[in-house]
Amino acid sequence: MIASLRKYYWIALMAARTNLAYVGEVAARSVFLAILLYIYLRLWTITYAQSNATRLGDLSLEQMLWYLVATQSIYMSTPKVAQNLDQDVRTGTLAVQLVRPLSFPLYYLWNALGERSVRFGITFLVGSIVALILVGPAPLTVPGYLLLLAALPFAFCLDFLGYFLVGLGAFWLEDTSGVLLIYQKSVMLAGGLLIPMELFPDSIKPIVQALPFSSIVYGPAHLFVHPDLAELGNLLLKQGVAICGFTVCVWFVWTLAVKRVHAMGG
Amino acid sequence: MNAIELHKLRKTYTVKQGSGFGRKTAEVVAVDDISFEIPEGQSVAFIGPNGAGKSTTIKMLTGILHPTSGEASVLGLVPWQDRSKLAYQIGAVFGQRSQLWYHLPPSDTFELLARVYNIGKNDYRKRRDMLIERFGLAEFLNTAVRKLSLGQRMRAEIAASLLHNPKVLFLDEPTIGLDVVACQELRDLVSEWNRQEGLTVLLTSHDAGDIEAVAKRVLVINYGRVVLDDRVVTVRRRYMGSKILGVKFHEIPREIRIPGVTVLKASSYAMKLEVNTEVASIDRVIHKVIQAGPVADITIEDPPLEEIIAHIYSRVNEPDYEEEVIGLS
Amino acid sequence: MIRYFNKFINYLGLALAYMRFNLRAQLEYRQAFISQVVAMFVNDAFWVVFWCLFFTKFPVVRGWTSKDVITLWAINAAGYGIAFSFFRNVNNIPYLIARGQLDSWMLYPRALLPHLLVGTMSATAIGDAIFGYAVYGFFIRPDIPHMLLFVLLSFGVALVFVSFSILVGSLSFYLGNVEALGDQMRGALVAFSTYPASIFDGAIKLILFSFLPAGFVGYLPAQALRELSFIPVLEVFAGGFVMSCVATFVFYYGLSRYESGSLMEMRG
Repeated sequence: MIASLRKYYWIALMAARTNLAYVGEVAARSVFLAILLYIYLRLWTITYAQSNATRLGDLSLEQMLWYLVATQSIYMSTPKVAQNLDQDVRTGTLAVQLVRPLSFPLYYLWNALGERSVRFGITFLVGSIVALILVGPAPLTVPGYLLLLAALPFAFCLDFLGYFLVGLGAFWLEDTSGVLLIYQKSVMLAGGLLIPMELFPDSIKPIVQALPFSSIVYGPAHLFVHPDLAELGNLLLKQGVAICGFTVCVWFVWTLAVKRVHAMGG
Repeated sequence: MNAIELHKLRKTYTVKQGSGFGRKTAEVVAVDDISFEIPEGQSVAFIGPNGAGKSTTIKMLTGILHPTSGEASVLGLVPWQDRSKLAYQIGAVFGQRSQLWYHLPPSDTFELLARVYNIGKNDYRKRRDMLIERFGLAEFLNTAVRKLSLGQRMRAEIAASLLHNPKVLFLDEPTIGLDVVACQELRDLVSEWNRQEGLTVLLTSHDAGDIEAVAKRVLVINYGRVVLDDRVVTVRRRYMGSKILGVKFHEIPREIRIPGVTVLKASSYAMKLEVNTEVASIDRVIHKVIQAGPVADITIEDPPLEEIIAHIYSRVNEPDYEEEVIGLS
Repeated sequence: MIRYFNKFINYLGLALAYMRFNLRAQLEYRQAFISQVVAMFVNDAFWVVFWCLFFTKFPVVRGWTSKDVITLWAINAAGYGIAFSFFRNVNNIPYLIARGQLDSWMLYPRALLPHLLVGTMSATAIGDAIFGYAVYGFFIRPDIPHMLLFVLLSFGVALVFVSFSILVGSLSFYLGNVEALGDQMRGALVAFSTYPASIFDGAIKLILFSFLPAGFVGYLPAQALRELSFIPVLEVFAGGFVMSCVATFVFYYGLSRYESGSLMEMRG
């Protein structure tokens, strides 16, 4: 048991280290992030000023920007799970991987988690520096960080399962990039990437909150600027339920898919 | 009349070394004042080791690269100045870089090329039908390129580059990855086109077979300079006066010293010898070898053209290599 | 004059031929093609939904309403769609330069840049274009002059997008592969031009009308459509024209430095 866990831990570590090598890409992404944060700041500064409010939802302007740093870091750190899986299915790499003495989905999961933690770390660091310059350290609290850290692992797992499902589509579809785009945009919009749940119109708020996307992006980010233990409990519960649901889906689709691999002979 | 003329053509690259503040730039000479001429209708093999400057030269002759200095003319045009004009009259097949559309059948690529080269409808049809017949494209003309075998693809590739009736054809490593049969087909087609249509061919290849089958003349370059320029037949005759002898022993043999024999490779139980048959006769050498120790196995081969060429490369800097007999130790 | 006209017609014919074959190649994978077009349409729609949500909560942002932002998205999507459905290859410029793949294009007897541009098409961009026209038509319900102006503007915006991409891509001649940088720059251009232009002022505005010409693809077109005025349209085209001249110069000047792939990648 321990030995097998250690195996996956190594996979994650390797993925994390490989990713540190792409400095140029990271730099380009950082510049883009800084630009986005600047635009958000302009938009919200004016919105706050025009609404004559110090708080919108339950966030001050500073908290809003830090919220956006967290959501952007989560969103932008997504590894290319679906694209890689799609390629592996089409090139037959998957058939080769099936021979190895490890579970293919678990291999993918740990690989993704390793890559994602590095990417999230770097993006979050850059975002924090930009936010510090733009609005100062207003809402930074130790509990905020702790709760963010507590909420992230399950969020990343849940997100992974979503992308893995999209990638598995490659067994049946000519192309999964379209589905991927729509999934990404669902995470963006229903996950609360640009506006926190509180600011959604009342009519659709319950729907969006019930969807799993909000526990990927909004949940952890909101805990970061607005730490609350009860909310964390709620979030973990929601994440747990969603992960179970998604895992069942992945398991079901995966069994169908593996049959197809055997049928096609890789 | 010459199809291709080069006069002191030179190309250098600046390469950055190191990083940060300690960064220096160094100049690398890819083509070093190269001069030669190719008359119309000749087929020439252009060979040299990796990085010798073959591709750079071809790229200058097709107008892709600007030279650092020197002159060149192809069909009377300066390639890098009249690139478009020249492109109507030359064809090029660049190794694994395909001009066929991967998802479409070759017939579609032909049609598009007719547009690109402004070929009139009637001319195009005549030319296309002729190529289809001569290159045997009919059976897969309407199959998407991705479904073709590499050999079929290469045939279509060359046919595509001949569609606009070029006077000069540049082939850069055309047979890489092809099987023996496909290679042979391709060589036959190119050399047939060269003989019958008077097409001037400049070919680079690592494959000695390509050179012998297609070219009449061979130009060897190394370190950006021409080190040998001769007829393929002569090269073969001159440097074929040697045999390669491979010997394996049961025990460690005594040292072998015979005039006219060079040790190419030696380990404790085996050696590879090159025998200059004009100086040392093969039977005498074998006799001596048997005396040197208990022989387990022995093979005699002609040296492949590759090795002959390798020899020529290694002798670049020796001024009187013309007189020297290769293989003398 | 007649010679140039003939030449133009000839290139137009070539572009049409490329379009036909590109479409044919894309339709080899019909399902993929259609799903990409639809997905891009949906992608854009998600953004419009976002702005609708935003504006139900905060009806006006410094004089901009949801109608303005939807117009902004529509004109951006239409221009972007036209630019990249016809000139998809413009995004490949850094790659082509850095990998020495301009070679194959240089062997053809055609003007390099125009021939290169019409070489490939993008399916997803067609989705953008359809989205742009559809949203403007259905949500804004313009009268005929507005619609005509919109169509005209979409071509101006496309010109700016293409010129900007050539310019950024040509930096590869000087700096090595700039693919990642190019993608982020285009992303930044789109980001700046799809938010209400009124939120920016001062020095940023200056940048948006020069290095990162978001003003030409966002602010000016929106202004033209709001006021039904022709002057911003002229400004868009003038901006696009200047940019395309600069881009062409940078491209061809860089071409003489073209090394046909790094020395490492040269095959003998």
